[in-house]
Amino acid sequence: MSYVGRASMTFVMLAIFVVMVTIAAGYPADARFMPFVVGIPAIGLCLLQLVLDARERRRTGERLDAQGRFGMAEASISRMAGRKVEFEVAHAPLPVVETETPLSPREQVGRELALWGWFLGFIGAILLFGFWLTIPVFLVAFLRFQARAGWARALLLGLGATAVLLATFELVFRLDVHAGFVTEYLRDQILGWGNASQ
Amino acid sequence: MIDIMFSSLVAMLTSPHIMGLMLVAVLIGLVVGATPGIGGRLSIALAIPFVFGMDMIPGAVFLLTMHAVNGTSGQISSIMFGVPGDGDDAATTIDGYPMAKKGEAGRALGASITASGFGGIVGAIVFALMIPVLEPIVLSFSPAEFFLLAVLGITLIAFLAGRGNIFKGIIVGLYGMMLATVGMDPQTGTARFSGDYLFLWDGLSLVTAVLALFAVPEMIALGVRGGSISAVSMEAARFSYRQLFEGVLEVPRHWWLALRTSIIGAIIGMIPGLGGSAAAWMCYGHAVQSSKHPERFGHGAVEGVIAPETASNAKEGGSLLPTLFFGIPGSSGMAVMMGAFLILGIQPGPAMLTTHLDLVWTLIWALVVGNIMAISILLFITRWVAVLTFINGAMLVPFILVLVALGTFVSEGRWENLVILVVLGAIGYGLLRADWPRAPFVIGLVLGKVAEESLHKALQLWGMEFFLRPLSLVLIGLISLTIVYAIYQNVRPARTPRQPIGAS
Repeated sequence: MSYVGRASMTFVMLAIFVVMVTIAAGYPADARFMPFVVGIPAIGLCLLQLVLDARERRRTGERLDAQGRFGMAEASISRMAGRKVEFEVAHAPLPVVETETPLSPREQVGRELALWGWFLGFIGAILLFGFWLTIPVFLVAFLRFQARAGWARALLLGLGATAVLLATFELVFRLDVHAGFVTEYLRDQILGWGNASQ
Repeated sequence: MIDIMFSSLVAMLTSPHIMGLMLVAVLIGLVVGATPGIGGRLSIALAIPFVFGMDMIPGAVFLLTMHAVNGTSGQISSIMFGVPGDGDDAATTIDGYPMAKKGEAGRALGASITASGFGGIVGAIVFALMIPVLEPIVLSFSPAEFFLLAVLGITLIAFLAGRGNIFKGIIVGLYGMMLATVGMDPQTGTARFSGDYLFLWDGLSLVTAVLALFAVPEMIALGVRGGSISAVSMEAARFSYRQLFEGVLEVPRHWWLALRTSIIGAIIGMIPGLGGSAAAWMCYGHAVQSSKHPERFGHGAVEGVIAPETASNAKEGGSLLPTLFFGIPGSSGMAVMMGAFLILGIQPGPAMLTTHLDLVWTLIWALVVGNIMAISILLFITRWVAVLTFINGAMLVPFILVLVALGTFVSEGRWENLVILVVLGAIGYGLLRADWPRAPFVIGLVLGKVAEESLHKALQLWGMEFFLRPLSLVLIGLISLTIVYAIYQNVRPARTPRQPIGAS
C-alpha cells in the first residue's frame, strides 16, 4: 500500500483536530481551554503518527493466517512452560471459513460501495418516508437482492420482523418514531383537502 | 455493608421484573455470543436503546448480565469447528478442537461452559472482596486526580489496540474527548462546535456515537465479507448429553486449577488495557506450566479448555472494578458498558461506594446469578445454539441496521441523529478499514465531560499546583511511563506479528 493510502486515516484525524482547534480559537478563554488541552497534543500525535506511517513500509512480518498465529502461540506457550509444547491446530488443516476468503481490491471496493449505498438509501428513505414504510421495503429488498434469499424467505423474514418491531415500539414501548418528511407533507395535504372539502 | 449485600440479593431475587429481564438478557447474550459477526461490544450498543428509560438498576442488570454471558456461548464454534469467535476463544480452540475431533465435543463443551460460569462467579467474588480494600483509596481521590485518571484511562485503553498501534489508540481517544466538548460549555455558556444546530447544544448523543463507531462499521464489514463457516457438516455438532455432563464434572475434578485461573483472570481484568486475550493465554500457559503432563496440551487436554475459559469470564468481574469506581473501563466491552451506564444515569466514580453501594452489590449478584442461569440453560440448548454458527452473515446485516437506526432515533427522538449516524459511521468504517482501534473513542467521549469538569474544579481549587499533589505526581508518572512504553513499542524493530491471535 502507498504511503498516502496507509496514512489516509492519520490525515483525516489531523484535519479534524486542526479544524476543531482553529474553530475553538475563536471561543472565550474558558470555553477553548479543553479543546486546546485535547486538540493540540492530538495534532502533535497525528504528526508523529505520520512519521510512523512512513516507517511502516519497512516493517516485516505482516499478518499471519489463523494457523500461523497458532504457530506463534505454540512458540510463546513453549517458552512460558519451559519445554516444547505442540498444538495440533497449528499443524493440521482447519475448517475453511468463507468469511476469511480474501477479496480482490476491486471486489472489496465494489462490495463496500454497494453496502454503503444500501445504508445511505435506508437512512435517506427513513428521513423521507419514515420508519414504518421504509423498514419492510428495506428488509425484503436487502434480503432478496443483496443476501440472495428467495422471495418467500425474504418476504417472511422482512414482514415478520417489521411486525415484531412495530408491536414492540408502538404497542409495548408506546414510542413515536419519525414519520418521514414526505409522508407528513402528504398527510397534511390530504388532511387539508379533507378539511377544505368539509 | 453486610446489610446492603444481602438486601440487594433479596431485592433482586424477589423482583419478578428484574429476574425476568435477567432471563431475557441471558438468552439474548447466549444467542448473540454464538452468532458470528456480533461481538460483546456490539450487542451492548444494540441493547442500549431498549434499556433507555428503564430504571437504573433493572437497566444495568440487564446489560451486565447480557455482557457477562456472551463469552459462555462464544466458544462453541472454537471447540466444534476450530473457528475461534474472538481473541478470548482462540486459546480454547487449541485443546477444545482436538477433543471434538476425537469425538469428545460434548465433554469439551460441558467443561468449557461450566468453567466459564465458574470463572464468572469467582470473578464477581474477587470484585466483592476488593471493595473494602479499595474504599479508602477511591475516596481519597480529588478532582485533580480524576482529571489525570481520565487521561490515564485513555492511554491505558489505547494498549488494547496492540503493539505498534498505541499512538493510534491515543489519537482516537482524544478524538472522543474532543467530540465530548461539542455543545454548551459549562463554564461560559458558549455553544461549542454546534453553530446554529440546537440539537447539538446538549452535546453529541452517546448512543448515536457508540452505534456509529461500532455497529455501522461492523455491519458494513460483515456485509462485505458475507458467508459463514463452511466445509464442516452439522455432524460435528452431534454429541450425547452423557458426554456433556462428563465434561461438567471435569471442573470440580480440576477445581484447584479452575480457582487459580479464575483469580488470575479477575486480577488481569482489573488492569485496564490488558484485555481478555491476555487473561486466557496467560492462564493457558499457567495450566501447561503447572501440569505434570504438559505433553498432553495441544492434543485435547481438558485442562487446556478449563483454564482459558475460567480466566476469560472471570476478567469481567475484575474489569467492573475500575469501570465503576474510577470511571476507567477495564476492557473495550466495559467501555461501551460504561457509556450505557451513563445513559441510565449511573455516574461511575467514588460516589458508587457512598451513595450507590446497593447498585454495586446488585451488579455483583447479577454476575453470579446470570452465570448460574447461563450454565443451566446452555447445557440444555448447546446443540441448537451451535446451529447459529452457520448463519450467513449477510442475512444479519439488514436486521441489525434497522435496530441501529431505531436505537439512534429513539434515544433522543431527533431525526438529526440519523445524519450524525451516517457521518460518524463513515469515520468509524475508515478506522476499521485502516486497522485503527475504536474502543478508545468511547472512553474519550465518556470521560471527556468528566475530565473537563474535574480540570476546571482542580484549577479553581489549587491553580496549576494541582499537578504537584502527591497522587497527581504518581498518576503523571504512570501516564508518562505509558507514553514512553508506547514510543518504545512503535520505534523498536518488529520481531513478532502485530496482530494477536483472534484479534479483529
